Amino acid sequence: MRVRAWLALIRAAIMEFLQFRVSALVMLLGNIIYLIVIYNLWKAIYASVDGGVVNGMSFNDTMIYLVLASAQFTFMEAYLVWEMGRAVQSGKIVLDLLKPIPYEQYLLFGMEGGNIAAFVVTFIPTFIIVQIITKGAIPMGINLVYYLIAATLGMLINFTIDFMVGTICLYTQSIWGINIMKEVVVLFMSGATVPLAFFPETLKKIVMFFPFHSIYNTPLMFLTNSSLTTKDSLLMILEQLLWVIGLFIIGKIFWKISERTITVNGG
Amino acid sequence: MKRLGFYLKIYRKIVIQSFKSKMSYRSDFIISMIGMILTDISELLAFYIIFLNFPSVCGWTYYEMLFLYGFSLVSLTPLQCLFDNNWHLRHYVYDGDFIKYCFRPIDIFFYYISEEFDTKGIGQFLVGMGTIIFAWNKLKLPVTFINVLAMIVALFTASLFMIGIMNFAAATCFFLTNSGYVMVTMNKFRDYAKYPVTVFSTFFKIVFTFIIPIAYIAYYPSLVVLRPDHIPVLTWIAPAYGILFFFLSYKFWMLGANKYSGTGS
Repeated sequence: MRVRAWLALIRAAIMEFLQFRVSALVMLLGNIIYLIVIYNLWKAIYASVDGGVVNGMSFNDTMIYLVLASAQFTFMEAYLVWEMGRAVQSGKIVLDLLKPIPYEQYLLFGMEGGNIAAFVVTFIPTFIIVQIITKGAIPMGINLVYYLIAATLGMLINFTIDFMVGTICLYTQSIWGINIMKEVVVLFMSGATVPLAFFPETLKKIVMFFPFHSIYNTPLMFLTNSSLTTKDSLLMILEQLLWVIGLFIIGKIFWKISERTITVNGG
Repeated sequence: MKRLGFYLKIYRKIVIQSFKSKMSYRSDFIISMIGMILTDISELLAFYIIFLNFPSVCGWTYYEMLFLYGFSLVSLTPLQCLFDNNWHLRHYVYDGDFIKYCFRPIDIFFYYISEEFDTKGIGQFLVGMGTIIFAWNKLKLPVTFINVLAMIVALFTASLFMIGIMNFAAATCFFLTNSGYVMVTMNKFRDYAKYPVTVFSTFFKIVFTFIIPIAYIAYYPSLVVLRPDHIPVLTWIAPAYGILFFFLSYKFWMLGANKYSGTGS
């Protein structure tokens, strides 16, 4: 284990994040505007149905789900594909590979610090605002512990997917295109764009076969669905854990094969 | 008039160069195009799923919403294709490379913006056009000369607004360092352009109409075709307002550019 190296990387990333305080503030502000827009929009959408509950989701549930999904995006998304792509283009990757720590660990813990800082600065305030606006609609109890575990695992799944997609950049030299494709697929299939509860049955079944729903939908379920039993909760977390392990192994093998193709011109 | 011809000639030359350099990365060109189209398709799917569960949004039906979305895609195309270089402005300014634009006997804004032609926008244009035609058909809107002409004028006017917003956002880098987040935040607003502005509360209605005029990207101009019986005054003033807004953003951009003194290197 390289716990000391990990902690050093996390610390450095947190300090880097704190250098850009204004941009964190703007991120939070952007989230609040998004919250208001989503509130108005879904209020208008829900105005067209009687009873106020559609597919088990009330207006409050949908609001909480979408706003927190967006807040979750701001702390989970670390633009790893960009970082890897740029490192390859500029040749910085050679220095990263020389570090006395495997490349994926270097990336993971370098990103982790930013995630933790963004979680505190943007997610928690957004969470509190949502809780106030919906007059305490988010259940507060053991589910918060589950949420933290599920969000951490979701972040790890997101990381492994990013790592694999970033590896593809070694072959294609295209960063923007690869990254936007990944973003669309992940955000759509994970239920961050439209809650999975609204998906038609067949589409829902297909989506459940992929790891993406574990990134956003699983953690958010713990905050919106108060009827989950302990068994269900543990099963959901187990599924996430299996995805993390499986994807990590595949990503590592893919990287090992691709590593040889790196070519850097000049120095 | 002679001046306009001169500028068009230069523009053609610069764009062809940019196009050639783009085509040398062919796989990137194709992947980016597919990525762009996928983004738009996922939005369409999102609309489809929402309307499976809900009959209408604030009195707007599925096909009307599709029309709005297609309209916003097409009206954002000129921004994507022609004005993409604004995204790099802050790097040029920060590194000092911007000074090269100040030494040419042509308009700085024109020269800077014309250096990049972003081909990704073409995919967006095609999806947008397809969506508009599909929705137009389903809504059984009449295809008359006047309607088509109104549509073209509306699209041109609509495109000016987001370009103006992004000009303002990009030009902040002349005054602030590390101003990337201003552009990112402003760029996010375009996502709200595809909804009818009537869903928002009064405060946001005013903000989205006059301060950050994203309601003009799709909502107001498209009323000309969608609701020909009740065209509000705000739609009629759109062309003049669009030109004024664009002009102001140009002036603001030039104010920053003229203030620029280089980095001394």
